[in-house]
Amino acid sequence: MDDLKKRLNQPSVESRQEWVGKLISYLAIILIGGLVGTILVFLTFKGVALFKNNGVSVWHFLSSTDWQPSHHHYGALPMIITSFSVTVLSGIVALPLALVVSIAITEMLPKKIYQFFQPLIELLVGIPSVVYGYLGLTVIVPYLRQLFGGTGFGILAASCVLFLMILPTMTSMTIDSLQAVPQKYRQASAGLGATRWQTISRVIIPSAKSGILTAMVFGMARAFGEALAVQMVIGNTTVIPKNLMESSATLTSVLTTGIGNTVMGTASNNALWSLALILLVMSLAFNLLMRLASKKGAK
Amino acid sequence: MRPERVDKIATGVILGLAGLVGLIILSLLIYILAMGIPHISWHFLTTNAESFTAGGGIRDQLFNSLYLVVLTLIVSVPLALCAAIYLSEYAPQNRWTRMLRLAIEVLSSLPSVVVGLFGYLVFVLQFGLDFSLLAGALALTILNLPILTRSCEDALRQVPYLQRQAGLGLGMSKWRVTTKIVLPAALPGIITGAILSAGRIFGEAAALIYTAGQSSSAISYTDWNPFSPTSFLNPMRPAETLAVHIWKVNSEGLVPDARAVSNGSAAVLIITILLFNLVARYVGHRIKQRLTK
Amino acid sequence: MQTSTALETKNLQVLYGEKHVAHDINLKFPKNKIIALIGASGSGKSTVLRSLNRMNDDFATVKGEINFHGVNINQPKVNVYRVRQQIGMVFQQPTPFPMSIYENVIYGLRLAGEKDRKVLDQRVEESLRQAALWDEVKDQLKASALALSGGQQQRLCIARTLAVRPEIILMDEPTSALDPVSTSQIEDTLVQLKEQFTIIMVTHNMQQASRSADWTAFMHQGHLIEFDETATIFMNPREKKTADYLSGKFG
Repeated sequence: MDDLKKRLNQPSVESRQEWVGKLISYLAIILIGGLVGTILVFLTFKGVALFKNNGVSVWHFLSSTDWQPSHHHYGALPMIITSFSVTVLSGIVALPLALVVSIAITEMLPKKIYQFFQPLIELLVGIPSVVYGYLGLTVIVPYLRQLFGGTGFGILAASCVLFLMILPTMTSMTIDSLQAVPQKYRQASAGLGATRWQTISRVIIPSAKSGILTAMVFGMARAFGEALAVQMVIGNTTVIPKNLMESSATLTSVLTTGIGNTVMGTASNNALWSLALILLVMSLAFNLLMRLASKKGAK
Repeated sequence: MRPERVDKIATGVILGLAGLVGLIILSLLIYILAMGIPHISWHFLTTNAESFTAGGGIRDQLFNSLYLVVLTLIVSVPLALCAAIYLSEYAPQNRWTRMLRLAIEVLSSLPSVVVGLFGYLVFVLQFGLDFSLLAGALALTILNLPILTRSCEDALRQVPYLQRQAGLGLGMSKWRVTTKIVLPAALPGIITGAILSAGRIFGEAAALIYTAGQSSSAISYTDWNPFSPTSFLNPMRPAETLAVHIWKVNSEGLVPDARAVSNGSAAVLIITILLFNLVARYVGHRIKQRLTK
Repeated sequence: MQTSTALETKNLQVLYGEKHVAHDINLKFPKNKIIALIGASGSGKSTVLRSLNRMNDDFATVKGEINFHGVNINQPKVNVYRVRQQIGMVFQQPTPFPMSIYENVIYGLRLAGEKDRKVLDQRVEESLRQAALWDEVKDQLKASALALSGGQQQRLCIARTLAVRPEIILMDEPTSALDPVSTSQIEDTLVQLKEQFTIIMVTHNMQQASRSADWTAFMHQGHLIEFDETATIFMNPREKKTADYLSGKFG
């Protein structure tokens, strides 16, 4: 019996396995956490170098409209405005249309049609953004040129491309949130004599609100951070655009074209990293917004 | 207006708009495929790309894309799986765990350019990997980790607690229960997630232009020594992928047949991603069959 | 002291977060007996049972002592895996692993490193006989365990637990998912088993307790109300609450 006593108090093969397993899995998660920390720290350091080493003030950087790195003018406002414009434009158009398509699919059309559309939406979600950009370059830009004159490149073209890119993602997320509304709500509402539209507008959309909101923020975050597809159709001129048809540049498009053409450590290179920092901060802000949106639904 | 009338109008408007949107998107998809598929030929898929003359293929770009997916999965799957095991099996419910989850969420919301720039800064410059497949694979790993961790965690959580309980009740360690009982049951879900993520990284370009690079060196497909600089397996060589190729050809390319090459490449990209989705679906379907048997 | 004690709890308390689900449970489980824990749902009987081999470690805070062979096993430094090998558990739902009958039975042994084919074969037969399943499955040991009926699966799970040769077997409503025929087969099996094992069983089925248990503990809202020989509890309960419960006034 003393033997058993000893055995109960001693570690065994299982204890060792447990220790090793816990260690391995913990190391993996710590690595990911550390990676995120490293990314934030590195990009922040690079991003503030312009203000610390090159004597550019943060306010000037954010408010000046003059971006000419070769003449040491670092005003990021044109890119900030353009980035927000394309994001808001594409989001505003995509939200109602994603909602309309989702309602049609979940509430109106027979289930069979959904089974046909679901893989198609999945495919559209998976199509690389470069392909959307290429589509913009070969279809949307020439079409806009024909319609409005000018070059066709600009905010409108970029918004169209981003709209096409985020619509499938937003639709699939909206469909999920509509489908998550319990069937009994629909039945209860119908049982009270409500028409289908009354049920949709008064019961289903309000109860799926947080999911729909999350989908919108998610889509806009993707639009804000998209680089190549936008770069292909925006025209890449770093001035404040006077209208939607004029060539301009976003934070991401300047970054993609600029990083390769500047030398590490120079002021003009640092300025690009400061643009990257704005992108990073914005992606954190979108993340926060998404948390708020989904918390709203939890209540 | 009577509610019935409003209902009719709303239904009409919604179905009309949805149909219109569907039609536009469907026609664009068909347009891309119709423009590209005629250009896909054995010659196109197996010939080297040209820089200044027409008639180039996409052999190296296609191979690079696939190879990069494989390299990325080799790094990211074990890492994501272990992290997912921690989250689903070990993580206590406390502030630290919530922080780690938040970190993963932050990672998943980073724009791919930002990830690419970080990769450029750290992998390419700091680690001295230069523009290389390895640097590209590491950047793609960063993009892939959060999505993959989440899908692995979901797959592990789908396994009923009863199964774990049975193992624990026999005096097995939790790690043993996880690797011997939970993991086999979750495997199809994990594989589905990995394939879907493979589709996503296959088409990624923004994270690669400053990590894997925008050009390819001359490579030989008969040189199987991964340390030889001309070997197609060498992870240290710069490599342009298919998605980067489309961007490159259109933004600064000089080939006269850029349209044809891009059309063909875009179609190949879409078809490959469709294949990834179909395989993932098939695997997912197989699980269902196995579970209901 | 006619019968020795297999397991003893002293001031056992279980908390889920802030919620107290079991208060000051003092029980002495006699050796080689079947002991039933009864009570309404939410009385804490399953919680107490699961605490006995520390299956609650991840979910709850368990305070107090659980003494097994003079060791308080409710301490972090005690090897929880060896505790569970000594105090096995059978659950409400049959939980066969997706492998053959044979592999299911020797699963625990294999993990312990046993490789000798003879020992394994012999242990499979012994355990399946003890669980009264041998005659039904001896010709199909290589068949998938998932093909067995619910009652057979549960007896297989009992055999799987027996194969590790524990001293005590905890059973959490082992027949609640089964039909009456399978239930009575398992009850018969239990009576056979108590010659070698001590069985502690949670049940909401009072007939089952009165039929198979030697001792019965009645729990109510997290408190142990009464613990005595089954005959005494059922015929002559000391507490009014016990009498009320047994006569169906609540629960």
